[in-house]
Order: sequence, then C-alpha cells, then structure tokens
Amino acid sequence: MAARNGKNGLLEKWRIDEKPVKIDKWDGAAVKNSLDDAAKKVLLEKYGYAENFNLVDGRLLICTISCLFAIVALIWDFLHPFPESKPVLAICILTYFIMMGFLTLYTSYQEKNIFLVSVQKDPAGMDLNHTWQLSSSLKRFDDQYTLRVSFTDGKSKHTREQEITKSVGAFFDGNGTLVMDQFEKCVSKLHNTLATEKKTK
Amino acid sequence: MLSLDFLDDVRRMNKRQLYYQVLNFGMIVSSALMIWKGLMVLTGSESPIVVVLSGSMEPAFHRGDLLFLTNRVEDPIRVGEIVVFRIEGREIPIVHRVLKIHEKENGEIKFLTKGDNNSVDDRGLYKPGQHWLEKKDVVGRARGFVPYIGIVTILMNDYPKFKYAVLFLLGLFVLVHRE
Repeated sequence: MAARNGKNGLLEKWRIDEKPVKIDKWDGAAVKNSLDDAAKKVLLEKYGYAENFNLVDGRLLICTISCLFAIVALIWDFLHPFPESKPVLAICILTYFIMMGFLTLYTSYQEKNIFLVSVQKDPAGMDLNHTWQLSSSLKRFDDQYTLRVSFTDGKSKHTREQEITKSVGAFFDGNGTLVMDQFEKCVSKLHNTLATEKKTK
Repeated sequence: MLSLDFLDDVRRMNKRQLYYQVLNFGMIVSSALMIWKGLMVLTGSESPIVVVLSGSMEPAFHRGDLLFLTNRVEDPIRVGEIVVFRIEGREIPIVHRVLKIHEKENGEIKFLTKGDNNSVDDRGLYKPGQHWLEKKDVVGRARGFVPYIGIVTILMNDYPKFKYAVLFLLGLFVLVHRE
C-alpha cells in the first residue's frame, strides 16, 4: 500500500497540470503549442467533450511502421553481411522513403492544422454525437494567432466554422506566462457563438 | 524533485505525445540509417564514405579528406589506380595505389599496393604470410572527395568521450523539444 502511494506521489510530482504555463515568449513553436494545449483544455475540461484520437493514431501508426522497416533492415544487414543483404536492404529503403512521402501527404492533407478532434456526446443518448474540431495557425515570426473552431452536426453532417485571429500578446504576460483566464474567455466565446448558431438554425 | 524547467514541456505531455517524441527521435535515427544503407546499395560498397587517416598518399590525399567510393563489379582494377581496401582482420580502410597485378584468365586478380608517400610497398601491412590482395579485400574506388571535413571524424574517434557527449546532448534535445 505504502509503495503504491509512494509511486503515485512521484507520478503526481512529475506531472504539472496545475502549474501555470510558462514558455519562452520568443519561441514561436512553444507559443503555438501552449495556446493549442490551452484551447484543448478548455474544450475537454470545461465542456467535457471526449477526445477522438484517430487522426493522431494514424500518424503514429505510419511513423511506427517506417521505424519497423528501418529496424528490419538493420537486423538483416547485421545477420547477413553486406553484399548478400542487398535485395532486402533495397526493399526496406524504398519502403521507408515511400512511407515518408505518405507521412508528408497525411500531415498535409488529412491532418492539416487540426490539433483536436472531440466528440460532444448527446446527454440523452438518443441523438448522434456532434464533432468539434480545433485547428490553428501561427506564421513564423508573426504574432497573429488564428484559432478555428468547427462544429459538425451528428445528424445533418453539416459543418460550421468560426475563427478568430488575435495577437499572442493578448494572452501572454511579459514573462511568457500564459494568462489562462483571457484565453479561456476567447475560446468560450468562439465555442458559444457556434453553439447558439446551432440552436437558432 | 530538481526543478529542471526545460523538462516542463515533457511533464505536460500525455502518453501519445510522449510516444510521438520517442518516435520522432527514432525517425531521425532511422532516416540517417536508411540514407547510409541507401548509399551502400547504390554504390555497391560496404563503406561508401571513408576518411583518409594517414598522410601516406600526399600530395594527392591528405589526412582528414573525405572520399566517396563506388565498388561496381564492372570497374576493372588497373595498375596506377587508387583503391581503398581492408586487410583481413583489421577494421581500418587503407587508401593506396595499385603497383602490380597478376590476372588469371577467369578474371581473378592478385594485386600489390603502395602509398605514394611511402618508401616501401604495403607487404609490411598485410597479414603475416599474405603477399597479395584480392578483389574481396577491396572496399571501393574513390570517385570524389571533399578536403578537410573528415578531421571531425578523426577528432571524434580520438576523443570518444566528446563524441558520446555530443550524441547524448543531441538525443536529449530531440526527445525534449516539441515540434
């Protein structure tokens, strides 16, 4: 019992979900990542949607398969020294680079800039579930962050989108700490605009 | 726990993101590996890029030059050409010029090599009892070279701790940094 508690305690100390997010304000990638994560948090925790991992899993699968081919090539070449391993090597290498091309196509066309696919389950369990998607963009060395919320109705399969562009300076203080309240207000407004549209239609 | 701020990003990751970080590292290693093996397949040589380790071929090649090799079956070895070979039982490739060749009718050859800057032929370097090299000892023929860049490889091999430190830091950076 004590050991189990001890392990949980260590894990809890490792995870820092409650610590305010502080990043290097000049690092564009870190800024975008922290804003994306915060938007995810709002949708998943405040509105209680369930995250759908299919898109991310697809990418993980492609990467895992590519690495497997590389490992196979490595082991085969180790067991059957070079000249004999040529045909197997050639196949593995070709497949690897084809998979790389596949991965690039997947991230460009399937994933686009979507970083969250979540499902709003109908509380009564009667109607089909609605899908909320979040995507964002932040150009290099630019400060304008665009957040796009898209709502897909479970029944009509109709998709509605709403986006907002703001400077990242509106959400971070001088030290690079994310001001969650401001950002949450912004995301909630976006979400509620789409949600009310749904009701009036 | 130590407050290592740079690990904050990692601590906030969920299982999938952690797995993706590891995969990212694996993909970079795999890509490098696949490019190297790809070069091996394209050139037919088991070591398509070698570094000249000694000054035995000056003034043609200097210590630290990077050589690009091919090892095609169709290229016949002729006297006067530079070949890169390995002596049985030793890992280090040697870059020297062919001095003499004995050729059988079926195409099998035995040849003797010597470095341009050496005063004697390579018999002193061969295995005890071995007087000639054969095709199987050849790693390839030099087709192109880049001067001086190989010094980095020589340094890394002379100071292995430096090499491991650099690789460790690079690996850590890839694992911790989010795209």
